[in-house]
Amino acid sequence: MQPHAIPDHVPPGLVRDFSYFRSPGMAPTPNGNPQAALSFVHYSGPPVFFAPANTYDGRGTWVITRADDQRRILQNPETFSSYRGIFKAALGEDLPMVPLEVDPPDHQAYRALLNPLLSPKRVDAMEAGARERAVRLIEGFKEKGSCEVMNDFAFPFAVGVFLQFLGVSDDRRDEFLGWADDQFHGTLEKRLAAMRTVVDFMRGLLEQRKREPADDFVGFLLQARIKDRPLTDKEILGIAVLLFEAGLDTVAAALGFDLCHLAKHGQDQQRLREDRDLIKPAVEEFFRAYSTVQMLRTAVKDYDFDGILIKAGDLVSCPTMIANRDPAEFPDPERIDLARDNNRHTAFAYGPHRCLGSHLARRELIIGLEEFLARIPHFRIKPGTAPLTYGGHVFGIENVVLDWEG
Amino acid sequence: MRISVKPNICQGHARCYALAPEIFQLDDAGYILPGDIEVPAGQEALAQRGVRSCPERALFIVDQPDAG
Repeated sequence: MQPHAIPDHVPPGLVRDFSYFRSPGMAPTPNGNPQAALSFVHYSGPPVFFAPANTYDGRGTWVITRADDQRRILQNPETFSSYRGIFKAALGEDLPMVPLEVDPPDHQAYRALLNPLLSPKRVDAMEAGARERAVRLIEGFKEKGSCEVMNDFAFPFAVGVFLQFLGVSDDRRDEFLGWADDQFHGTLEKRLAAMRTVVDFMRGLLEQRKREPADDFVGFLLQARIKDRPLTDKEILGIAVLLFEAGLDTVAAALGFDLCHLAKHGQDQQRLREDRDLIKPAVEEFFRAYSTVQMLRTAVKDYDFDGILIKAGDLVSCPTMIANRDPAEFPDPERIDLARDNNRHTAFAYGPHRCLGSHLARRELIIGLEEFLARIPHFRIKPGTAPLTYGGHVFGIENVVLDWEG
Repeated sequence: MRISVKPNICQGHARCYALAPEIFQLDDAGYILPGDIEVPAGQEALAQRGVRSCPERALFIVDQPDAG
């Protein structure tokens, strides 16, 4: 293995052999549980440590394991910036993902504009359309007695809801699905090509809305003003592309992990069938136990973290799936308790960059589980198959083949 | 029972609202309205659950009703 440089200011005692990509359970694993595979960090070693090669491009990061400590970092965007030039690094195109990559004070102006579009009340208005999509997909495979959750349900559902939000016709769904598949699961080459295609599609949509104004998402952004000026094309593109990047893979993965859990834990499945009111708290508990993302920040000035020097320029990773299994925040964290109370999980992060789409995401999960349980009889993992889980920058699951008796 | 609201800490998770929309009211952006909350009698337990559900810890109970 190639040695990675450890910065001089990192005390050797705080360096740990840890990686979202290479630690045990992070590689694609049949019947794995990548979230549980990382919770060992709470029971051995320091709560803040340095992982020398912990990004897809081999950079070292600090890892903040405790919920309280992550809250402290993420509630302090003045010191821990979320600007990373994600697109510039990947595509050579300077397209800041707005508002994720915008720091305060400007960040607040963008959020004030976008928050009402995805507020809990606004999500109520999207509920009927989303439910209809879920029902149509489930009814489409119900009689077969089997489905593969990700391809037959989770991805088409998440992409459909996204198109509904964008105001794009469903004719484009399969095309979008292909891009999403390449983008999230393809080779690096395919990922980059898909990213470019998505940017081009959004650019085309933007030009079309300029010619033919419409009362939809892009139309809204074209009318919107920020700091007494209209949004630039680059800002509108950055927003639209960020929603694609952030809102598809994550929702689909959550559905996959949740249905996999219910297939493997028949008692939990039965409990939800008997008590539909339990689905909402269960979705929150699944968000806690099967969270998939990490917040990555760059220190913009030196910071004294209880005696540990985090230097300007250091990367700081706040993995949600680790904080969500912090025994100081969640009693008995490895136990999945569908009715867990005081479940202040951080699946959607802490601080001002709290997931903009979180309310839509939880609604999609609630609808997805409600309709699946209402329409599909007792299901299990199809014998002879094994769901494949993996870690990485965003955790995921594939090949969730279920079967049931018709 | 009174709940102290720290509106600058609220990030719009709306977990409190999901549990008790009558007690925890949000603005159009989905963030908690500023100002302390007087919890109606009989709803203390629900309000406590709302407070404890806040991921940011933006809510605090400042005034516990006396037992008896």
